[in-house]
Amino acid sequence: MTPTFTPLQNDAVLLPERLVDLLGLGEFGVAGEVVAAFLGAFLVANLMMAMTGVAGPWAKRKITAAFTDRIAVNRVGPFGLLIIVADAVRLLSKELIIPDGVDRPAWDLAPILIASTALLGFAVIPMGSGIHLADPEVGLVFVFAVASMTSVGLVMAGYASNNKYSFLGGMRAVAQNLAYEIPLIVVAVSVVIFAGTLQMSEIVAAQAEPLLVIAGVTIPAWYAFVNPFAFVLFVAANMMEIGRNPFDTPEAPTEIVAGYQTEYSSVYFVLVFLGEFLHIFLGGAIIATLFLGGPAGPVLPGIVWFLIKIWAVFLFTQWLRSALPRFRIDQLIEVGWKGLLVLSFANLILTAIIVGVIA
Amino acid sequence: MSADEELVETTVGSDLDADGIAALLGEAVLDREEHLNAPGFVIRPDAVQEVLTKLRDEAGFDHLSCVTAQQYTDRYESIYHLTSYDDRQREVSVVVPTDPERPVSQSAEPVFRTADWHEREAYDLVGIEYEGHPDLRRILLPQTWQGHPLSLEYHQDKPQIVTLDAHKNPLEADHRGNSETMFLNIGPHHPATHGVLHLKAVLDGEQVADVEPDIGYLHRCEEQMCQAGTYRHQIMPYPDRWDYISAGLLNEWAYARAAEDLADLEVPEYAQVIRTMSAELCRIASHLLAMGTFALDVNGDFTAAFMYAITDRERVQDILEDLTGQRMMFNYFRLGGVAWDLPEPREEFFGKIRDFLDHLPGAAEEYHNLITRNEVFQLRCVDTGYLSPEVAKSYGCTGAVARASGIDYDLRRDDPYGYYDELDWEVITEDGCDNYARLLVRMREVEQSARIIEQCVDLLEDWPEDDREIQSNVPRTLKPDEDAEIYRAVEGAKGELGIYIRSDGTDKPARFKIRSPCFSNLQALPAIAEGEYIPDLIAALGSLDIVLGEVDR
Repeated sequence: MTPTFTPLQNDAVLLPERLVDLLGLGEFGVAGEVVAAFLGAFLVANLMMAMTGVAGPWAKRKITAAFTDRIAVNRVGPFGLLIIVADAVRLLSKELIIPDGVDRPAWDLAPILIASTALLGFAVIPMGSGIHLADPEVGLVFVFAVASMTSVGLVMAGYASNNKYSFLGGMRAVAQNLAYEIPLIVVAVSVVIFAGTLQMSEIVAAQAEPLLVIAGVTIPAWYAFVNPFAFVLFVAANMMEIGRNPFDTPEAPTEIVAGYQTEYSSVYFVLVFLGEFLHIFLGGAIIATLFLGGPAGPVLPGIVWFLIKIWAVFLFTQWLRSALPRFRIDQLIEVGWKGLLVLSFANLILTAIIVGVIA
Repeated sequence: MSADEELVETTVGSDLDADGIAALLGEAVLDREEHLNAPGFVIRPDAVQEVLTKLRDEAGFDHLSCVTAQQYTDRYESIYHLTSYDDRQREVSVVVPTDPERPVSQSAEPVFRTADWHEREAYDLVGIEYEGHPDLRRILLPQTWQGHPLSLEYHQDKPQIVTLDAHKNPLEADHRGNSETMFLNIGPHHPATHGVLHLKAVLDGEQVADVEPDIGYLHRCEEQMCQAGTYRHQIMPYPDRWDYISAGLLNEWAYARAAEDLADLEVPEYAQVIRTMSAELCRIASHLLAMGTFALDVNGDFTAAFMYAITDRERVQDILEDLTGQRMMFNYFRLGGVAWDLPEPREEFFGKIRDFLDHLPGAAEEYHNLITRNEVFQLRCVDTGYLSPEVAKSYGCTGAVARASGIDYDLRRDDPYGYYDELDWEVITEDGCDNYARLLVRMREVEQSARIIEQCVDLLEDWPEDDREIQSNVPRTLKPDEDAEIYRAVEGAKGELGIYIRSDGTDKPARFKIRSPCFSNLQALPAIAEGEYIPDLIAALGSLDIVLGEVDR
């Protein structure tokens, strides 16, 4: 119907296309496609922000409380769920304090950048049940590119805040980013060697093959099963990427107050936090896509499996936060450069040799 | 044979009696005094360094426990309370009188680094000046304060109005020139300063080039308030407010011990056992909190270890609440005993304690799994925040901080009081000298405290019903002998908590001086943290386990 719309596609149908079909926008030509694309983006963004809304004010508290033998929010609504509404109103109605001497507009742009870049990454993530906004051939590169743009936001926030704690946090963020980005991408490249493509849908499709059958149960060729070593490395590097324990040095409350976000209040604070949680979920989405077969799973629809997988990664980050001490910044950089980088290259070479021998 | 030689080696000069010391000090001595705890030597104000050096190097008095300053009608006086880390019961007071018109005496700072802050405090509150002191500024009061509050001429009602300009702006030093270093104010409002503490830090990148604690934000005139209260009733509530983090009974014991020895009061054995048990409960609560907050500093804000420690501390608080009726401000000790007997039914109370003691080994195992055995934690804490024993001694560090630097010093054993010497327990030392060792000492001390409590409970359970005397017969109004002076210390939660009292024959002390262990321990922070990274500075501060209520008093 719209032959010019997805030239790179074989048979996968993307969300905008479906919307065009569903709403009968085809007759409006390009304008209809644009409207459908916006609509699709709107839906995906809202889905992810809804996840964040549940995670930030409610799930995070409940999970941490479970780890620390407490009860947490239980006063507003069933299981305290309405705290989400209460917190949203509370946070948005607070005064936006703009400290003296902040470097505007960098200071204003940083929270927007942090939140929006994380959101942008979801554009190429196949979420199952036909929810997939775009599927360019370079999907994997795109997602890493936008995810690491968040670092720019962090540095902007740290530098523009006119606060020494923010500055220290921003500097730590740069140092940390340099140390984790390379191992992260090198590990991802080992997956690309297996799948032979950078296209997200293809990577997911490659994992649908059966790996082996044990007692009648088919184990799919998820790369977490095919190469657990790479999986572990990637999860570790991803914890650094999203700046969670034990690698939460850029914020490091109790050391540098709140790092780059020290001076942000009200809406900007919400944006920064939104960005952080979106980033955790984006990290989860990348892990799910690269190593856990994307939205694949038995019985339940794809989108449900996808959400289960990203929530599992979120739960994992919260578990680590309750259990693990924080690395010191110099130790963290040592882990990044001397540990992860070496291991990730070893993994890459090993994968290349194995794939080369088999193929 | 070799053992004997060692013995001789370690006890150099420790056989000196008061006359021997007088002979050693020679013509520097002007007069002799007799304090209740130690012989006192009145020396020339210009011979302080010479006398203290001799006493330290030739007589083995290597611990400057406290410096008390006070004003008489005809003179000012600084008293240096010296003792020995190897033998706490050897004490000597070096009394330095100065001219009332021009109160200047030589500083002891070059001999004992701990004298730095102690003399600043003496200058701040009493008004004595110390010649040769490297940095004689006010320490507890604002720099603009008018007058010295504990001096006799202090004008109580003089308005303390100073213009805002006169106040040194803490941000003034916030230079942003072309310097290689960055000045950073850590505190007074910072998540990891454990109260209102201000650290002036100079950073070179992430490393700490220089750090200076700025204290006094929580100064509440505790010494002066105690001087305005009667021995018998009005002073006892105050100690709870020094180290207010559940160590109240240990603080009360410090006052009780000093005042009982001053007024020559007996304490019934039964009350001593109750005191010992309840004080050790306080120690457990305090150490659990120290451990939890240290985990908070190293692990981050949402660590489970902190909440677990708080949960266990809560159980101790419940027991103490049953005993004293209070959770923090106990006010349970009395001169000559305790306020009331154990709560009825006693079996239930003992059962509660035993339940807690049974629970403790499992909990300790969990803490070790969560905290000390974690490799990241070890990476962070082993070999960071190094405090050598020599430096620790020079700063007068005591308590877990000293014991983690391998200094085998615990007043419960070295200067026995209460029921400790009847019980079977050990003094814990570690020789790591680092943040990790300081934590480990506290965690192991909890186990020893549990041992003590268990033995006390055994004793109390079998105590004959007709012999449960909780308080000796103490006169309603206590008036110790005129000019009696005493300095007595107990092993508080953070270290040696000492009280100096001078009586003037009335029912209120003429001078009440508190030797706070946190004050001395915190002073060592620059020595520990300089050259380390910011996170290690925070960890070192946490490992010192200070309570600002006790630092500032």
